[in-house]
Amino acid sequence: MGEVIVITSGKGGVGKTTTTSNIGIGLAMLGKSVAIVDADIGLRNLDVVMGLENRIVYDIVDVVDGNCRIKQALIKDKKFDNLFLLPAAQTKDKDAIEPEQMKALSKELSEMFDYVIIDCPAGIEQGFKNAIIGADRAIVVTTPEISAVRDADRIIGLLEANGLNNPKLIINRIKQDMVNRGDMMNIDDILDILAIDLIGIVPDDEAIVISTNKGEPVIIEGKSMSGQAYSNISKRIAGEDIPLLNLDVEESLITRIRKMFFGK
Amino acid sequence: MSQNLIRFKGKREGISIYIQKGSFEDIKEELETKIKKSEKFFRGAKVIEIAGIDGKYLTQKEKEAIVTLVTEKYNMIVDEHKELSKENSLQAEEIEEVEEVEEEPEIDLECYDGLKEGSTKFINSTIRSGQLIEYDGNVVVIGDVNPGGEISVKGNIVVMGTLRGVANAGNDGNKDAIVAAFNLSPTQLRIANLITRRPDKDEDTHEPKEPEIARIYDDAIIIESYLTKK
Repeated sequence: MGEVIVITSGKGGVGKTTTTSNIGIGLAMLGKSVAIVDADIGLRNLDVVMGLENRIVYDIVDVVDGNCRIKQALIKDKKFDNLFLLPAAQTKDKDAIEPEQMKALSKELSEMFDYVIIDCPAGIEQGFKNAIIGADRAIVVTTPEISAVRDADRIIGLLEANGLNNPKLIINRIKQDMVNRGDMMNIDDILDILAIDLIGIVPDDEAIVISTNKGEPVIIEGKSMSGQAYSNISKRIAGEDIPLLNLDVEESLITRIRKMFFGK
Repeated sequence: MSQNLIRFKGKREGISIYIQKGSFEDIKEELETKIKKSEKFFRGAKVIEIAGIDGKYLTQKEKEAIVTLVTEKYNMIVDEHKELSKENSLQAEEIEEVEEVEEEPEIDLECYDGLKEGSTKFINSTIRSGQLIEYDGNVVVIGDVNPGGEISVKGNIVVMGTLRGVANAGNDGNKDAIVAAFNLSPTQLRIANLITRRPDKDEDTHEPKEPEIARIYDDAIIIESYLTKK
């Protein structure tokens, strides 16, 4: 019996889909069998980020409507044989699935895989309710912005009201030099407000944009800071004890080089 | 009031009910008004299909509500699982439909025109992500089809622009169906029961510079230029 994890945030554009794809691959790299599920019906993205868009024949709505078997809709990843994507439907809307159907689907998937990672849509409406109903635990993604943190706080409350206690937090898109200058909320500020366990921090990284456009999540190549961060998060999900990345080291090196060349 | 959310289509096997996007209250209301208008015709009639068209997705609940409405109020029989006899005598089917239209002229009964020389729908806009065009015939898009958009028809597809989304021609099994576009670079291409897509290593494969046509040849989908004299 595998574990169903929902990745959620409330606010849009903070990196749920990027996080889902990278954690999915990260866990697959650790040898686990993983299914990633796109619950964002009508605005699907996970298939594009994974570079699997052109393989979609059946989707999640076809599965719950009984048009196909679940195995027919699961798309095997290009690189990892133990990683599968269940895509969302693009031409339907969130009401196409009932919470009960989603619950049954999550259960069925959890019997087939070690981990089922659900990419939750933004917002707190039907799509959110569908995404969390079958989950065993939740990971909340936020960025160091007051609006994202506010929404994360709302989401944590809703998760707890739905019996998903103790969600874990990922702080995404940290710009360490801005934090050092005091222009950006730091990790402690955010933890102070949200008061949940931190499972990882991810620096703001241009490599994410490049990898997203290529359809190859950043963790595959593995050299970038963000790839490293996602790799660590995956290991922590699998139960390993890994210290948080020290974003300062990398940044101060860059700053030092910059100083050498630009005298800043 | 007359929003035309509901379309009926008579076939030899029974009636198809097609529903367009709109609020479910309006849909139910219009359905009832239309049935009432020709109650004699509809009472006890057989319904073989209830489906959403033009991007309307009918949820299980909505469908059940419609089934209850037509069966309980008008004694109609809903039997969707009946295999439609597709191949046998299209001719006879057409004649029968014409007769039905004459009997009940006030009902918007549409003729099924066949696969090879059927009716054609022209779409004067770009098909964007999330839009699904379904049609029992041929479709011509005067515009582009963007990624995430889908066209699924029983006949041919012609795109007077760039086709980047999913195209499904001959979706009830006609292997003679074609897909043509000024710039043919679909996410996925389906003709009859065949599905194909671009290779993953896409960098050095061709970016089409001229109009192309896709068709089935020897049980495989091939793409070629249709301006051979150039």
